[in-house]
Amino acid sequence: MASSMATMRERLSQAPWGLWWIQGYRLTRIELRRNLFSWRAAWIYFLAFVPTFILLIHLVVDRHSGNSISEDTSILAGIVQLYYIRLGVFFGCLGIFSRLIRGEMIERSIHFYLLSPVRRELQLLAKFAAGSIAAILLFASAILANFVLVYVGFGAAGSDYIFNGPGLGQMESYLAIIVLACLGYGAVFLLLSMMFRNPTPAAMLVLGWEAINPILPSLLQKLSVASYLRHLMPVQVGAEGIFALLTVKTEPVPAWQATLGLMALIAVVLFYSCLRIRKLEIRYTTD
Amino acid sequence: MSDQIIFEDVSKFYGEVLGVNRITLSIPPGITTLVGPNGSGKTTLMNLMTGLIQPSRGRLSVLGLTPADATEFFSAVGYCAQFDSFPRNITGWQFVYDSLMLYGMEKAMAADFTVEALDRVQLGEAAGRRIAGYSKGMRQKIRLAQSIAHHPRVLVLDEPLNGLDPMARAESMALFEDLGRQGMHVIISSHILDEVDRISDRVILITGGYLIAEGDIHQVRQEVHEKPMQVLIRCDRPEVLASRMFSVNHCVEARLHADGKGVFLRTSELDQFYSMLNGIAAEGLIKIDSVAPADDDANAIYQYLIGTEGSAS
Amino acid sequence: MAVYKRSYRAYEGPVTSPAERILVLARYAWAEAWASKITIALFILCLVPCLISLVGIYAANNPLVRSLINGKASELINVDAGFFLKVLSGQCWLALVLLSWVAPRVITFDLADSALPILLSHPISRFGYLFGKFLALFATLSIVTWIPCLGLFIYQGYTSTLPWMAGNLRIAFGILAGSFIWIILLSILGLALSAWVKWRVVATGVIFAAVFIPAGVGAIASAVLRTRWGFLLNIPYMITLVWQRLLGAPEHFNTDNFLPNGSIACMLTLACLVCFAMLNQRIRAREVVRG
Repeated sequence: MASSMATMRERLSQAPWGLWWIQGYRLTRIELRRNLFSWRAAWIYFLAFVPTFILLIHLVVDRHSGNSISEDTSILAGIVQLYYIRLGVFFGCLGIFSRLIRGEMIERSIHFYLLSPVRRELQLLAKFAAGSIAAILLFASAILANFVLVYVGFGAAGSDYIFNGPGLGQMESYLAIIVLACLGYGAVFLLLSMMFRNPTPAAMLVLGWEAINPILPSLLQKLSVASYLRHLMPVQVGAEGIFALLTVKTEPVPAWQATLGLMALIAVVLFYSCLRIRKLEIRYTTD
Repeated sequence: MSDQIIFEDVSKFYGEVLGVNRITLSIPPGITTLVGPNGSGKTTLMNLMTGLIQPSRGRLSVLGLTPADATEFFSAVGYCAQFDSFPRNITGWQFVYDSLMLYGMEKAMAADFTVEALDRVQLGEAAGRRIAGYSKGMRQKIRLAQSIAHHPRVLVLDEPLNGLDPMARAESMALFEDLGRQGMHVIISSHILDEVDRISDRVILITGGYLIAEGDIHQVRQEVHEKPMQVLIRCDRPEVLASRMFSVNHCVEARLHADGKGVFLRTSELDQFYSMLNGIAAEGLIKIDSVAPADDDANAIYQYLIGTEGSAS
Repeated sequence: MAVYKRSYRAYEGPVTSPAERILVLARYAWAEAWASKITIALFILCLVPCLISLVGIYAANNPLVRSLINGKASELINVDAGFFLKVLSGQCWLALVLLSWVAPRVITFDLADSALPILLSHPISRFGYLFGKFLALFATLSIVTWIPCLGLFIYQGYTSTLPWMAGNLRIAFGILAGSFIWIILLSILGLALSAWVKWRVVATGVIFAAVFIPAGVGAIASAVLRTRWGFLLNIPYMITLVWQRLLGAPEHFNTDNFLPNGSIACMLTLACLVCFAMLNQRIRAREVVRG
């Protein structure tokens, strides 16, 4: 046992970390350039910024009174929980992360990556990093813009709410939620895209799973991205009809525990993805 | 470190479909041609060689390396695959440069290597254009450029002459010949056997996933005993030579050349044939201009060993 | 001097009419759609709610069963417009799931493999090509929507002790009209989005996204701008209103969010027109690649 640990330590110390860092960094940059800054990514910009556009119209057209701050705060919470988490980030990450491996397979260009002198695990992690950066950059900046647009219309009352009230704390929570959502859904969709030729039906099952998760036993709730995020929401949303199902209150979990739980879930999914990519084979004829 | 590409009892099955079966091979440096009909397993063999697929059974190594050591392995191997597809929205220059950057090179060195590779395939001027707008020949060239850009020691080329015009084909052949002469392993699969044959040192014949023959082309030809060797003799009196040769029982066929100044003779005993020919030449009755084997090329070997049931590709 | 053997003769025999040729495409598209085991699995899944409803109708009309289910429980299985609305809604949403799998299969292979120029080099128009595909989708979705729903309606009429069917013909009409509107909309949407994105894998997700993302956006617009018109982007909401009104079932949505029939019709027509424009752009016998 001790000798195997020593061997592993020796192997780790001898690994070319510098080269791996350069390769990972460059691969991430290449992926970002190909996926984030292209016309094909326009629909993800749309997904991220369409609420921003509506809030901009609201800012320009509607009158804001001090009384409606709490109402707009609830609406913003609803936008984050019911739109971004359930739809925007979900479908955005599905598009971004499925493309990274499965998209390259469909376009028959994955072999260029597999023939590069980069370890496959490193390729997967670099692709995950690129997808995460792309998703976080878009959705976090959209959340930030939404937050500013909601409160800027209230003038002094708005700035008071942000700087002297709970505003800044809420914004931090929303940003943390979006970052974790992008990482969580990203890891899940990256894995699904390697497991299935068409990952969308599986993703729809994930969507259904996420929807019914609040009514499942607490052990099964731990296998859901949204369940962790729900505990981080700074403002609870009162929803009607089908949306009520999505916002059912479950046993309270501390924020740090929810964050660590989700990070652990992401780590497990990525570890399994690394194992799978080592066995990945090119069979374009069947893809 | 070994200087060979070694297959040890390698098999590959795609579910119930056989890719290749029990291949044991050792490929030394030089130019090796992979010959076989459609679906014979050539691309499978090349994909195995480059780690794109893993063997169902057996082991293989390239210069003592395996794809598990990705950094060293892919620094030593360049693969110009036959998949006519590229990453989206990139120019030829970006395509080669991006791949070089992943080797951990300095930017300036990667740029120099990119220019060098593009120049070698005569694609310097079109490098700034998007690959999506390239012609088929240009796409073939840019793939070739990408596979040689990092100066690999093993170059695997799957149908590298496809889509190239005669000029570009000749240039590519010269490039392969040059690389092979410098001691690189060049493994080519091509259905333009006449052209590849001129530069090949060795041939590997494969059909139905099974290895049929491998080795030096001339040696392989001599091993095909059931098909007597054909020799073309250019001389002033071919009909006399043919009749003399038919007096011995190992000469089984004679056919006059179309221009009437030569004869194709087929013999099952090459050594005796040549000694008899020397005798006839010494007699001085027939003036012999040249003697050359007419069917110890890859094309003929393909015909004899694999037959006409499928065309080479 | 060249010698030509004039033995070649072009085919001059009878050919089928253009309308019949469309059916060839429809037949092939149908075969492609049903070649997948997942299509079969989804089809079986789509029929499960119908079987449950069938049992419900039997229970509702069987005096013995009704006597066993006492009190309020027996009211739960009243077979009326509300009951058929639930059945129709369930079947139509399952039809969306089926479509998201089937629609990409019938069209993306042609586009991704560049087979469209070959197909359109035959005496088939672009409209004919699309109509053939549309027919296949229409037939596929029909067998999980109005056909089983009407079957249940007929079974209810047969098992009911009262002269039920004649008094509830509006339900049958509602089922038929509501299903047709939904099937036509879905088929056009499925074809357009599949043709637009070209890749089957992507198309499946995009079809779902195209239904639910605008609904989310509409909900945001309604909440932020305090207007009900945001619901005009919400296809699930609009189509549920349509079904309620066609079947004559009680409307259970908030009356503040009332949408007039005209605005719903305009919005659904606009959605179809956008899809037609997308199809017009994509279904061509050539593709320009800019380098």
